[in-house]
Amino acid sequence: MNLAITDIFQAIQRWQLVIFIGLSNVKARYRRSVLGPLWLTLGTVVGAAGLGFLWSELLKVPRHEFVPSLTAGLIIWQFVSGVIMEGVYGFSRQAATIKNTSQPYFIHPMQVVLQQFVNFLHNIPVFFLVAWLLDVSFNLNMLWVLPCLILLILNLLWLALLLGILGARFRDIEFIINMVMPLLLFTSPVFYRPNYLPFSEDIMWFNPFSHLIELIRHPLLGSPPPDFVVLTNLAFLVVGWTLAVWLFNRKYNSLAFWL
Amino acid sequence: MAKLYFDNVSIHYPIFNSRTMSIRNQLVRIATGGIIEREEGGVQIVSALNNVSFQINEGDAVGLVGHNGAGKSTLLRTMAGVYAPATGHVTREGRVATLFDMGAGMDPELSGRENIWRMGFLLGMSRTQINDEMSAIEDFTQLGDFLELPMRTYSTGMAMRLMFAVATSTAPEILLVDEVFGTGDFEFQKKAKVRMQTLLQSVKILVFASHAMTLVREHCNRFFLLEHGVVREIDESELSQFE
Repeated sequence: MNLAITDIFQAIQRWQLVIFIGLSNVKARYRRSVLGPLWLTLGTVVGAAGLGFLWSELLKVPRHEFVPSLTAGLIIWQFVSGVIMEGVYGFSRQAATIKNTSQPYFIHPMQVVLQQFVNFLHNIPVFFLVAWLLDVSFNLNMLWVLPCLILLILNLLWLALLLGILGARFRDIEFIINMVMPLLLFTSPVFYRPNYLPFSEDIMWFNPFSHLIELIRHPLLGSPPPDFVVLTNLAFLVVGWTLAVWLFNRKYNSLAFWL
Repeated sequence: MAKLYFDNVSIHYPIFNSRTMSIRNQLVRIATGGIIEREEGGVQIVSALNNVSFQINEGDAVGLVGHNGAGKSTLLRTMAGVYAPATGHVTREGRVATLFDMGAGMDPELSGRENIWRMGFLLGMSRTQINDEMSAIEDFTQLGDFLELPMRTYSTGMAMRLMFAVATSTAPEILLVDEVFGTGDFEFQKKAKVRMQTLLQSVKILVFASHAMTLVREHCNRFFLLEHGVVREIDESELSQFE
């Protein structure tokens, strides 16, 4: 039996543990702050308001169109980039737990994604507030958000697993990620949308993050995701999981020694 | 039937320095076909266990003795399934609980009670099991209202009590213990001993690494000496030379 697949299934069976540890980490982090996780929400509000009004003038896009799109972009970006930045430490920060208790490894990437998802849930109301204030019309297409989110989360899970393994073996990866993330923020369609670009729209679609972001942003703004975006996300799913499971299986027995 | 068999098990530890941990070096290695890697900064391999074979069956309580660095912790982690052997085979049947590094899984910002939940989950207990054990754990720790305070306010002895209480309430079949006694005040040690004894009666296999020969004698019926990664079963009379 494939070691990686067995591990992943064992981890899924231990979902209670994952949820408990994930939530207690969030609690521990905000224990002594008055607003707690609402700081995240507030941060997103400030970011969306400040950047929204400035950039809508710079890009000459009407506010009621730009600000909701920017808010959606920011929220999704925080989710995706959060998983990437924390995913690298997925195993290395849990060295004590891994070396002292016998648990399936995959609970750690699951926990990384769960924690970022909790953050995402804190931010989502900001989008609806903005959408309501700026009269974005709500419609049934928004329900596409649910299946699309599931697809995104399934993609983020393999990403967290892969980065966790690489981050445990190569301690340079975390620095590379920290260096690259700000650049990626500007080269991904977070502040703008691919169709704002006069000539580079096609190039923008070579950036995998464009597909991850647009998959969720389209339904949030009330239109179903374009077929090719769904297809690329499904392709990521197949290719990503194959790669991650292959590497995980190959390095399964070495992982504990790297920590 | 709980059992723990080692068949010619060897463990090799790769030691990475900054050079071998880095990507640059891996890229250079690929680009140069691996010649550089051999010349500068290859991964050092430490063999922690060499062809270890033994059979531990139900009813065995094994005392593990040996100098610091002899490989006791590595052997225990291999028994627990944390480390996979480079060669050989480990057969393990039965639910394992570990009492290794006491701090693992605790969060200093959370209260004592929250940490009981956390540790319980990490040690493989279910929600109902933890619920059932909660009052016994609280009682044993004697922390009272302190359980509502964050762990960072605890003294070492208090934290120790809490961890010990959780770890000993997991009702495992195989219990692996790495040198956990010797901290805490006298009163606690007495209580810990009683609780440990009750636990040991329910445990089917115990492996206990310690430098305290009195404890080893008291709790164990077989004795393994670990030297330079080799395990040798010794007689109780031979224990005295380590005192």
